[in-house]
Amino acid sequence: MTLKLVDPRRAAPVAVPPMLEVEGLTKRFGGLVAVKEMRLAIRPGEIVGLIGPNGSGKSTVMKLVMGILRPNAGRVSVDGVDVAGWPSHRVARHGVGLVFQHSRPLHRQTVGENIVLALLPDSLLRLVADPQVERRARAIAERVGLGAVFDRRPATLPFADLRRLELAKAIARDPKVVLVDEPFAGLTAGEVKDFSALIASFRTENKAVLLVDHNVKGVAALVDRAVAMYLGAFVAEGSAAQVMADPTVRAVYLGGAVQASARREPKARTAGPPLLAVEGVSVFYGKAQALDAVDLQVREGEFVSVVGLNGAGKTTLFNAISGLVPHTGSITFGGAPLAGLSAARIARGGIVQCPETRELFNTMSVRENLDLGGAHLPKSDRARQLDWLLELFPILRSRSAQAAGKMSGGEQQMLAIARALMMKPRLLVLDEPTLGLAPVILEQLGRALEVLRTTTPITVLLGEQNVTFALPHADRVYVLEHARLVWEGPPARFAEEAGRAYL
Amino acid sequence: MGSLLRSRLFWGSLAGLALAAAFPLVGGPYTIGVLIPAFYFAVFAMSWDLLFGFAGEVNFGPTFLIGLGAYGAGIVDARYGLGVPLSVAFGTALAVAGGVALALPALRLSGPYFGLVTLVAVLLLQQMVTVFADVSGGEIGLSLPDVLSIDDATNYYFALGFMALSGAALFALSRSPAGLILQACGQDPVEAQALGFNVAKHKLAAFVVSAFFSGLAGALLVFYYGTASPGTFIDIAVGVQIIIAAVLGGRRTIVGAVLGAVFLVVAGEVLRPLGQMSTFAVSAVALAVILLAPAGFLGTLLFRRGAA
Amino acid sequence: MLGLQILIDGFAVSALYGLGAVGFTLIFGVSGVLNLSHGAIMVTAATVAWALAERAGAYGGALGGLASAFLLSFVTYFAVVRPIQRSRSIPSEETEIFVLTGTLLWGIMIQVAIAYLATTSPHTVRPLISGVTVIGGVRTPTNEILTAALCWAAIGALTLLIERTRAGKALLAASVNPRGLTLLGFELERVHLLVWAIYGVLVGVAGVLLGAFLGASSDNVGTLTASAFSIVVLGGLGSVPGSLLAAYCIGYLETLTAYLVSPSLRNIPALILLVAVVWARPQGFLGRR
Repeated sequence: MTLKLVDPRRAAPVAVPPMLEVEGLTKRFGGLVAVKEMRLAIRPGEIVGLIGPNGSGKSTVMKLVMGILRPNAGRVSVDGVDVAGWPSHRVARHGVGLVFQHSRPLHRQTVGENIVLALLPDSLLRLVADPQVERRARAIAERVGLGAVFDRRPATLPFADLRRLELAKAIARDPKVVLVDEPFAGLTAGEVKDFSALIASFRTENKAVLLVDHNVKGVAALVDRAVAMYLGAFVAEGSAAQVMADPTVRAVYLGGAVQASARREPKARTAGPPLLAVEGVSVFYGKAQALDAVDLQVREGEFVSVVGLNGAGKTTLFNAISGLVPHTGSITFGGAPLAGLSAARIARGGIVQCPETRELFNTMSVRENLDLGGAHLPKSDRARQLDWLLELFPILRSRSAQAAGKMSGGEQQMLAIARALMMKPRLLVLDEPTLGLAPVILEQLGRALEVLRTTTPITVLLGEQNVTFALPHADRVYVLEHARLVWEGPPARFAEEAGRAYL
Repeated sequence: MGSLLRSRLFWGSLAGLALAAAFPLVGGPYTIGVLIPAFYFAVFAMSWDLLFGFAGEVNFGPTFLIGLGAYGAGIVDARYGLGVPLSVAFGTALAVAGGVALALPALRLSGPYFGLVTLVAVLLLQQMVTVFADVSGGEIGLSLPDVLSIDDATNYYFALGFMALSGAALFALSRSPAGLILQACGQDPVEAQALGFNVAKHKLAAFVVSAFFSGLAGALLVFYYGTASPGTFIDIAVGVQIIIAAVLGGRRTIVGAVLGAVFLVVAGEVLRPLGQMSTFAVSAVALAVILLAPAGFLGTLLFRRGAA
Repeated sequence: MLGLQILIDGFAVSALYGLGAVGFTLIFGVSGVLNLSHGAIMVTAATVAWALAERAGAYGGALGGLASAFLLSFVTYFAVVRPIQRSRSIPSEETEIFVLTGTLLWGIMIQVAIAYLATTSPHTVRPLISGVTVIGGVRTPTNEILTAALCWAAIGALTLLIERTRAGKALLAASVNPRGLTLLGFELERVHLLVWAIYGVLVGVAGVLLGAFLGASSDNVGTLTASAFSIVVLGGLGSVPGSLLAAYCIGYLETLTAYLVSPSLRNIPALILLVAVVWARPQGFLGRR
């Protein structure tokens, strides 16, 4: 392996200036600081992963670099020129390319024409295509593996090929800096290998590559370095292994050391039919498979946690249960199939979802939000339920007249849970309640869940990326990875059997 | 496959043109008189389709551009006796200026907001014509000293030729690299920018081209009629007809707009015995097409199989 | 004297504009539909009220007008809007333009039908109250006062409905976050039915009052739709208070122009205001962004 001599994976000499250098980058949306003094540098030929959970601001950083958003402060230097605040098309002309996660190709044009588009100069007067352009488009198509479908329309392509097309468009520009948004989302293991090879080939072309992803694991094999961010700010930097070992990063993803807390015996009965039975459920978004033949049961009174990273398919699973996305396979609740029921009917039937996006009525007051939750209850039940919830979440009592959208993230999350509980669910489906919340709020939330679990007969299905939050409450745990359930068991065995592979 | 479709469309258009060219041999002067405005109308609809189907801008006021062209040309001819060619050039230039003025809000606003601005532009223009009645002829209309020709056949072939040339130009533009970029800008401006295209520039150009053909056709139509009135050139109802023609013919096809325009005008004539209810019938047919075959005549013909 | 006259006339006209626009904005807020057959439905209500008043008296006519608008509102929803929203061959990003074109065509059909059945000449609905009231020396038709009062009564009733009833709250919630409402077990379909029902009533009342106050003809259809559209955008799409504010701005601006400059120019300052506001503040007076 004589290549070793010039292996670009070894840190390039310090003398080589970075191709992309971000410093003090700050972006505010109204009062919300989405990115706070972020820093980042990539040398030519280097692949860097930008890692952070949903809402950490990583996508905003990418958009700020590309010029899709204008930063409030900071520097974005590309090849020595500060491009911060430039319009997107100038940034692109200066040598930055972005591989979008969701592709929207021109549907009436062929794959070839879509690649040709990316090769065109920004000219109004180009009325006849250069024959050279067609040849180059073909070469690029061959390189990314689209050669065979060059003359087909995008609508006839499988999902992975659409991602290839996005990649082809970015390559066509021959950018010096390539930004890739969630490079492997929705791809099968084999396709991930192909894509990794394509992205790795940028190294030999001395491009600076930024991979934006939810977790280190997904990109660990490919990156020279990883940068982690959380709540809009820089958290850690180093090799993939170093970042994974970083205590702050572990706290963000796992909430601390993985352990099942000492707790009472599960009260659920193992006998009898399950309250909720999910059998062989698959979901496709267009051509991307988001859920692959998932089997899952929840018994009456049980607290079941589904853990998995962002993008693993938790939300999709819950939306399938709630009747919000079309699916194949069968889902039964209390023995009756849910197929054909409207989402609202399913909710009234007792499966109430508290989604990760919370879906509060932001301009309406806390009290109005809660009242709408209890709208289907008889009047006396409603008052009792409301009293009980205001006791469980005392903060909501003092915020009663405030607009939901004006509250802090933690308060909003409590309101979302309380609103769902106002419906007196038989099964509460709780999706990522910890998303973007500070540790102190997590503690309050955890206590409330504990009270809920110990004092009521409620059945809970919790989806979490934060394992430390998800385990202590759970009677049983499922691990969801890449659209599939890969592990099932009691929380006590999780650390040993599934914990290591998780981050 | 793409080239096959294109050639099918090409031969189809050619056959249609040949048919239209042979028509005066069999058709009477009345039918010819019906078809001439239909050809200009087709150019209006094609210009609208360039903005909507390719640049992604919903212009509720195509008659703003058309009216500028028509009245610009008509007024300088009637008041200053500039003659047909110069007056047409002036009207077209005025429409292009109007197109630029319309593009400015389009680049800032989106969806219903821009739609409203285009609507207001038409209303303002209509008011201006009424207010400055001593120059424009007001509601009654403006009579011109010049006409294109008094010969029906000449007028017919001129209109047909103008439509064919405009259609060819707009169609070629829509299939050219510049048209490809324009489509990308209309469909996803963010991605188009990230590919290095100055979206504002391309959309402005689309407005200019659309305004050019709208204004030119408006100016020529004014010299065919010999008169200009708000009811024929500016009224929102005229704009509505143009939009319906383009949607009916098939969005994003340019050529489909011709089918839609000719269908609307001819159907209106055929149903004339119904009196006022002819408009009812035409609208009902158009509504049915929108509900049942949203791709329009040509869209359904060409892209039916691609949709699977 | 002239000042007071402008104040009174402007108030009544604005109240009418406001009532017409509130229904329009409600539909948009809750279901994202800009209903361009709005003017046609209003004129239908006025024309039916006029035609029935001959036989059924002023009250019977008014009731008939109201019922016709109510009915037509549902027909619009079931025959035009819903099929487009549910169509699989219309891409979702183009639903808006299809709803616009569809309702526009539908409006034209109604307009032509009215013109065919009742001619295009303006019909003035027999007012519910006749006579003249003198306010501070200005002779004002009592019907004008009644018009303003009824408009505000209808708006007040709507406000009560939204603020005080469970169905109203659900309506409000649907305009803020429809998905959230589904998760709480509300059928959006039923919310939409409700909003079209309310719309039918509001438009019916506005149409009948318009017919009695100013008269209505099928030729007004386009203007009525355009003015509702303008007021709603000016006030902020989907905002009921914004629409009322905008209605008063435009109503007074038009009345002022008509009295002080020339009746033929009454639309122009309002149009310019509209363009200026849309340019400087696209979300309108009270629109959310």
